[in-house]
Amino acid sequence: MPDLASMGGLNTSLLIGTQALEAAQGALTATSNNIANSNTPGYTREIPQFAESEQSQSGNEIIGGGVSLTGLQSVRDELLNLQIQSQTSLQSSVDTQSSSLQQIQTYFSSTGTDIASALSAFSSDLTQLSASPSSSAVQQEVLSSGQNLANAFNNTASGLTSAQSSADTQVTQTVSQINSLTTQIAQLNGQISQLTADGQSGGTVQDQRDELVQQLSQLTGISVMQGSDGETITTGNGTPLVMGDSSYSLQTTTGSDGMQHVLDSNGNDITSSIQGGQLGGAIQIRDQVIPGYLAQLNTLASQFAASFNAAQAEGFDSNGNAGQNFFSVPATGAAAGMSVAISDPSLIAISSDGSAGSNGNVANLSASLTSALPSGQTVSQAYANLVDQVGTAASDASTQSTAIGQNLLQLTNQQSSVSGVSIDEETTNLIRFQTAYEAAARIVSTIQQLNTDTINMIS
Amino acid sequence: MIETVVQERNRKLEEYLQLLGLMAFELDRAMRAIVQNSLTALEDSVANQQAFSSRLEELAQDLGRSPQDRPLASSPLTDSELKAQIFSASSSLQELNRRYSALIKHSSHSVALMVSLFSSFQGQMQEDSGPRLSKHTWSCQI
Repeated sequence: MPDLASMGGLNTSLLIGTQALEAAQGALTATSNNIANSNTPGYTREIPQFAESEQSQSGNEIIGGGVSLTGLQSVRDELLNLQIQSQTSLQSSVDTQSSSLQQIQTYFSSTGTDIASALSAFSSDLTQLSASPSSSAVQQEVLSSGQNLANAFNNTASGLTSAQSSADTQVTQTVSQINSLTTQIAQLNGQISQLTADGQSGGTVQDQRDELVQQLSQLTGISVMQGSDGETITTGNGTPLVMGDSSYSLQTTTGSDGMQHVLDSNGNDITSSIQGGQLGGAIQIRDQVIPGYLAQLNTLASQFAASFNAAQAEGFDSNGNAGQNFFSVPATGAAAGMSVAISDPSLIAISSDGSAGSNGNVANLSASLTSALPSGQTVSQAYANLVDQVGTAASDASTQSTAIGQNLLQLTNQQSSVSGVSIDEETTNLIRFQTAYEAAARIVSTIQQLNTDTINMIS
Repeated sequence: MIETVVQERNRKLEEYLQLLGLMAFELDRAMRAIVQNSLTALEDSVANQQAFSSRLEELAQDLGRSPQDRPLASSPLTDSELKAQIFSASSSLQELNRRYSALIKHSSHSVALMVSLFSSFQGQMQEDSGPRLSKHTWSCQI
């Protein structure tokens, strides 16, 4: 317990009251604001900051200046925020890819018109042709099923190209959204700087900015740095998006590949360096994933057509002429451009020696479906492998999204415990404050009575 | 004998003076605690105030008895300088007490408003779900 000498006299306390009233009002306002915003998304709990007011000297006596409210501090964990932004970008990228892969998967599903089904029907019709080589109806069936197989390749390629176009459109839209957000963030940076310069709390504006930065991290991978003039935000590779109260817009332009390319504010192409977020996910699926599948599909179409055409060339058609190409494939875009080159069923090279009724070359035609292509796999195996790749990629993306989601949930929980408002805690404190105030009020009355007692006592 | 009684009385007056000072110190501490929302410090200070005020009341009753009970109350042997110090300390404590009282009233009113604010939320806000659930049980009733 302090002695009188250490207290600096009773008068040192007398100046505190007025300031205390003002400071207490600020502190209680902050607390009520915390409660009022307990369910506001992105709200960051504020705690009052106090400082000892300057002391003054009266004669030989040092008079304490009391306590004053210097401001409100938002309770933030910037490291946690950065982790959340990073994980949000990652999840958004994975979700974008997952969504696109789900769409792509439908083109590889067993629908009856897919490549696997068409191959099976084509093989079955060739078997029938072997049994009835002179039947024009069966010959027509083989021609039709060949056409169906070509259509299946066309449709699958078209589906992949359609998914690629969707991703391309998403690139343009996302860049537009990024520019809108960075403009708003720069404006808020300016407001925060102004408020800070004026000695005011920028907590609410910071919350708004944090919310926008969080949204921005969904659109693209970003790096956030705190500077003297506000936050600096760049893309993952360092392209500036926001510096203080200035924003730097990204642009899009059609590249030589017909796709939308992303340019920084100086016109440099940064497409390949963008990672994370919807933009990174869309670019990844558009420029890496789908082209990979298309390349495999084109190779498959090209190699199968070449193999079947080679088998055709080994035989003779119903007119006794050497077999000509059954399938036609362009040099580029083989799957999309694959077609049946003949329209007359009699041009199928059924005979091995040119004699009527011979079915000697049907075995060669059928064998082209079961023989290994230059890739080392049969056409069915190669296609099944491609289907497996698509399915695995879609499944992996979904699993990854779930895992990141759980991680994000944990981080958000941590952020909530740091920055969120605990109503239970606030309520408990309110009750304790009430009890303490009631007890203090009784003591106030006692001290008032003591004054009379003291005067009576010493007079 | 008289000297002993005077010494005893002055000893109690000195204790009284010291308690006035300690009480002022606690009022000061309580006000700072209120301003800083430091609940533990406030509760600790209020507990000290209760102890000091009880002892002050006890001493005041003892020292303020009737002339028959305290034949030396107006004796010139009583330390007049000590009495002056007590009078000054008591006046200062009263002034401080008035400000403390104002702060208590103000803070009590503010807390009452916040309690009303909190109560008014019940029924208006939905039970939260997800990561913040543990923070918003809304189960507490005031």
